[in-house]
Amino acid sequence: MEEKQGMAKVLAIIPGLAFMILTLFVLRTYVEPWMENVVVMGQKGWLVKVLSLNYILLSILTGMFYRNVIFGGKIPDWAAEGFRTTRLFIKSGVIMLGSLYTIQGLLKVGGIAITLIFSFVFGTILFVIWFGGRNKMDRSLIGVMAASCGVCGVSAAVATTPAVRAKPADVALAIATILGFGIFTMFISPAIGHLLHLSDYQFGAWVGTGILNSGQVLATCLAYNPDIAPGTAVAYGEIWNVVRVISIPFVVFFITLWYWRSEAQAEHISLVKIIKEKFPLFIFGFLGMTALSSFGMLGAEGSETIHLMRQVMSWIFGLGLVGQGAYIDIRELKAAGGAPLKVGLAAGAIKYVLALVVVLLFVAKEANF
Amino acid sequence: MSEPKKNTKMTVFKTDRHEDMAAIFFVTVVVASILIYMAFIIPSVTIKAPTSGKVVAVAVQKGSEVKKGDLLYSLQLKGKPEPKKYKAVTSGKILSVTAKPDDAVKKGKDVILVLQHEKGTLP
Repeated sequence: MEEKQGMAKVLAIIPGLAFMILTLFVLRTYVEPWMENVVVMGQKGWLVKVLSLNYILLSILTGMFYRNVIFGGKIPDWAAEGFRTTRLFIKSGVIMLGSLYTIQGLLKVGGIAITLIFSFVFGTILFVIWFGGRNKMDRSLIGVMAASCGVCGVSAAVATTPAVRAKPADVALAIATILGFGIFTMFISPAIGHLLHLSDYQFGAWVGTGILNSGQVLATCLAYNPDIAPGTAVAYGEIWNVVRVISIPFVVFFITLWYWRSEAQAEHISLVKIIKEKFPLFIFGFLGMTALSSFGMLGAEGSETIHLMRQVMSWIFGLGLVGQGAYIDIRELKAAGGAPLKVGLAAGAIKYVLALVVVLLFVAKEANF
Repeated sequence: MSEPKKNTKMTVFKTDRHEDMAAIFFVTVVVASILIYMAFIIPSVTIKAPTSGKVVAVAVQKGSEVKKGDLLYSLQLKGKPEPKKYKAVTSGKILSVTAKPDDAVKKGKDVILVLQHEKGTLP
């Protein structure tokens, strides 16, 4: 599709966005209530209670259905610009989630989150560098694979690409592998959490550490507990997610250093420059919301104002996740294979299982904030 | 003539930084609209059961004036030994009370009361 400019670009967004809004409206107004009442396996609401099929997972599944079945593998031109607003909505939802915390609470849990996330992120990167080397993978591919397995499937892989001179095919392969793994964990994690009787705090910590994509972390937490409020899975998972996203420039710096370690260019790599260029600015919005919430400027907890704000937030997330689903191309996932698939799956699976073990052993059932 | 440039970006914005700024701006507009709507535009709020349970007591009646912090009602929640008390988060006047003691209420579905809040406060 040709790139549009100005007013034409704004108008081009409308059809796809309207389609996403309509989809979410039908899912929330008709499909989810129907699923809550329908009797399956002799139990009312089995689809929601056992399969965690609430509007969040439904949004992603419907998006995937559109892309892979209705649209035949490619978002059509009339809808493409509208679907490109997906990340805007996910980022907006993350910013609004800042209202669930107070500065004091964030500082209390932040310490544990920073320790866990940084250990797992850099542990995974070192593992991919070692295992990728053993499997004789190309150094550029190891670089993007380490970034996407370590911190975030899409953002970090894209951010690392120029530094390690990766080819577009390497990036696509790394993203496909790790997103495919993420989709699988997104659907099985709520069931595992219920089976192990994890508290919302433990589930949020596990998923926030073990799953690698912001949208997938949100979706998995909301599938476990659809409530958006302090003390729920999404509130805890998001702290971990935010710490992970903040670590992206450090990851890019580390991988760049590794890639160029034997080259003269290594002397010219600056952490400050990388932070300036890559630090995700929307995190400041998240912290701003936390500050407003700490000063009681968004209404008291339990008030109708907060209730309305969380309703709006859940719609914003829903929109983002319909789009997220539509960006999952099954054919692209099938393209993942060979050594990158082996390394990506090994890194993802080890991180996912190890995060669960660490959470079960060291993270208390309830958070102290 | 050259081929038209294909758009393969995952965002409608020029860069990720532009998208971040747009998200911050969008949230600012949404949150400001909600706060203005709740504080100045709607005359009253319908308070529904915040969680499922059984009404133990309703401490106000139609026409009562309440102040921020006054007890409104209490609910007995499943698995909790003590009833949970719900207080007014803003001052105002009770326009109607629907729930009665011993009523079973469902989260987000059953109305407890309607409150006319003071203009400029967040109910």
